Amino acid sequence: MSLPNRDTIIAIVLLFFTGVLIWASFDIRSPDYGTLAPSAWPRSVLAILLVFGLIYLFQSLRAMPSEQNTAQSDERGGLVGWFIKYRNPLWCYFIYFLFLATLPIFGALVGGILLVFCLLSILGGFAPKKLLLHGAIATISMGAMWSIFTFGLRVILPRSSFIDGI
Amino acid sequence: MLIENLLGAIAEIGNLQTLAFMIIGATAGLISGAIPGFTIAMAVVLTLPFTFGMPPAQGIATMIGVFVGGLSGGLMSGILTGIPGTPSSVATTFDGFPMARNGDPGFALGLGVWASFFGGIISAVLLIAVAPQLARVGLEFQPWDYFSLVFFALTITASLAGQNLVKGLIAGALGLLIATFGEDDINGVARFDFGIEYLQEGFGFLPVLIGLFAFSRLMTDVRDPKAATMALTDMQEVSIRIEHRRAALTVLKNWGNLIRSSLIGVFTGILPAAGSSISNVLAYDQAKKASKTPEEFGTGCANGIIAPESANNATAGGSLITMMALGIPGDIITAVMLGALLIHDVIPSPSFITEAPVLAYSIFLAFFIANFLVLGLQSGALKLFVLVTRVRMYVLAAVILAYCGIGVFALHNIVSDIWTLFIFGIVGYILRNLGFPLAPVILGVVLGPIAEKWLSRSLAISTDVSLFLTHPWSLFFIIAAVFSMVFTLYQRDRGKRPWTRFYPPALMLSLSLPLFMMEGVIRPVVAVCLVGAGLLLLYRAKKPQTVNEG
Repeated sequence: MSLPNRDTIIAIVLLFFTGVLIWASFDIRSPDYGTLAPSAWPRSVLAILLVFGLIYLFQSLRAMPSEQNTAQSDERGGLVGWFIKYRNPLWCYFIYFLFLATLPIFGALVGGILLVFCLLSILGGFAPKKLLLHGAIATISMGAMWSIFTFGLRVILPRSSFIDGI
Repeated sequence: MLIENLLGAIAEIGNLQTLAFMIIGATAGLISGAIPGFTIAMAVVLTLPFTFGMPPAQGIATMIGVFVGGLSGGLMSGILTGIPGTPSSVATTFDGFPMARNGDPGFALGLGVWASFFGGIISAVLLIAVAPQLARVGLEFQPWDYFSLVFFALTITASLAGQNLVKGLIAGALGLLIATFGEDDINGVARFDFGIEYLQEGFGFLPVLIGLFAFSRLMTDVRDPKAATMALTDMQEVSIRIEHRRAALTVLKNWGNLIRSSLIGVFTGILPAAGSSISNVLAYDQAKKASKTPEEFGTGCANGIIAPESANNATAGGSLITMMALGIPGDIITAVMLGALLIHDVIPSPSFITEAPVLAYSIFLAFFIANFLVLGLQSGALKLFVLVTRVRMYVLAAVILAYCGIGVFALHNIVSDIWTLFIFGIVGYILRNLGFPLAPVILGVVLGPIAEKWLSRSLAISTDVSLFLTHPWSLFFIIAAVFSMVFTLYQRDRGKRPWTRFYPPALMLSLSLPLFMMEGVIRPVVAVCLVGAGLLLLYRAKKPQTVNEG
C-alpha cells in the first residue's frame, strides 16, 4: 500500500482544522442587536476554506503518485534526516521559545543579549574567538536597540526581575 | 484647494525630524534592497515598529523612504555582482552587469540611479494628478460598493498566487480567518477564544505580519548551515565613482524609452498584484522591441538599464495611486502601508483623500521628496553596501530576530504580541516550505476586517442582497472580481486553449453593463466604446485560427 502524498496529508490537516473551527463557530454568542451575527463572517470564510480545502484534496489525490513518490524519495532520510536538514531553524525556534519563557526573569536587555549570543553561537560555531566576537555583537546590538527603544521611543521594555532598572 | 493641501502637507512633513527619518529610511531601503535575499517588503515591515510613536504622516513618510530606497537599491548588487538585490531589478542585470564587466561600472550605476530618479518623478507627478481624480469617483460609493470593492481586492489573492491557484486562495482564506480571531469589532463579541485569555484579544496585525514575513524568511535564510555562515556576497572591494553627469545626459537623451518605461511602470503598479518584479522585465522587453539596435541588448546597452530601472521606481507611484484613491493595496508593500495607517487609526477607503487631505498630500509629497533623497544618497549607500555585504547571514539573522521581538512589543507593550510573532514565525515557515504564498495571507489579514465592516453596514441599511447587483459600482467590482479570479487561468492557458480568446471580449462586454447603468454622459460613452471593442474582439476570436499564437 502506498503512502498518501504530502499534499493529501496537508489537505486532510487543513480540512480537520476547518472542521474544528466550524464547530467552534457555534459557540460564538449571538447578541440581540446588529444585523450581521458575529459568527456570520467567520462561517463564510470557513465555508470558502472548506471548498478550497476539498478542491486541494481532490487535486492531490488526482496527482500522479509515482511522480510525487520519486520527488519525495530523494528527500526522505527518516526523522533523523529531517532533524539534520532543519536543525538550524529548529534550534532558532527553541532558543526563541526559551527567550520568551524567561523574559519575565531576564528582561528584554539581558534576555535579548543571551538570545542573540545563543543564536550566533548555534548558527556560527563555538570556537573561542568566535564566542568572543558573538558576545561583543550581542552586547553592542542589543544595547543599541534597547537604548533606542527605551530612551528614543520611550518604550518601557520588559524589566529583569533580578537587576533593578534594566 | 491643491495649494492649500500641499501647504498643509509641507507643514506636516517639511521639518528636520521627518526629513531625518526619511533619510534614515531611504538609506536603510537602499541597503536592504541591495542585499540579495532581503526583499523591500521585509524592509518596510521591519520599519513599522519604529513608526508607532510617530505622527501618521511622519511614519508613512519614513516607510515611503524605505520603499523608494529599496527599489533603487536593487540596482547596486545587480550591476556590480550580477545578482539582483530584489526581483524588481532582475532585468537591470541583463545589461548593467555586462556594462560593469566591460569596464564602465560607474556609468552603469549612474544610468540606474538617474533612470530610477526620473521614473520616480514621472510617477510622482502622475500620482498627484491621477489619485485625487480617481478618488472623486470613490466618493460616489455606498456600503454595497465598498464591500464589492474589497471583495474585488480579495480576489487579487488569486493573481498573487502565482503558479498554484488553489494554494493561493487557501492562503488568502487563512488570512481572512486569522483576522476573525478575538473580539469582533462590530458587536464586541469574542470569537474562537476557546476560553483562553490570550486568544480573547485576537492576533495583532503587526506581530502576525512580522512573524509570517520576516521571522519565517530569516529561518529560510539560515536553514542551510553552510550558506548561513557565508558573507552576503563575494564582493570584496569596490572603488567606483558614479558618473552622474554623463549618465543623466544619456538618460535624458533617451527620453522616449524613459517615458514609455515609466508609463509601463505606473500602469503595472495601478493593476492589483502586478508589481515592480513584472514591470522591470516588461519595460526591458518593450525597450528591446522598440530599439533600432535590439542586438545590442544584453551586451551592456544604456537603454537596457534605463528601461527596467525607470519602470520599477515608477511602479511605486502606480501602486500608491490604487492605495490612495481606492483604499485597496496593489501589492504586499502597500498592504503593509495600509496596515500602518490602520495602526494610526486612519481607515483607508476611497474617501481617504477627501477626509484626510493633509495626510494624503503628505504621502504624495513624501514620495516626491524620497526620490530626491535616494538620488543624493546613492553614492554614500554604495560604500555602506560594500561594508554590509561582508557581514555573515547568520549575524544579520540573529540580530534581526531579536529586533523583531522588541519591535512588536513596542506596539502595545504586551509580551503576548511577541508570542504571536513566534507562533506566526512558525506558521509562516511551515507555509513557505509547503509552497503556500504568504502575500495572500497578509492581504487577507488586512482586508478581512474592512470587508466585514462594510458587509455589516450594507445589511444594516437593507437586508436585500440584490442591492449588491443593482448598484452599478458594486456590480462593476463583482464582475471585475469574477474575471480577476479567472485571470491566473487565463495567463496560464493564453494561446494554448481556445477559451482564452473569449476572455478579453467577455470582460469588456460584461463591464459595459454597469457602466450603462451609471448616470452622466461619459460613462455610458465609455460603455459604448467597450461594447464596440468587445464585439470586434469577439468577431476576431470566433474566426478560425491556429491555437498557438500567444
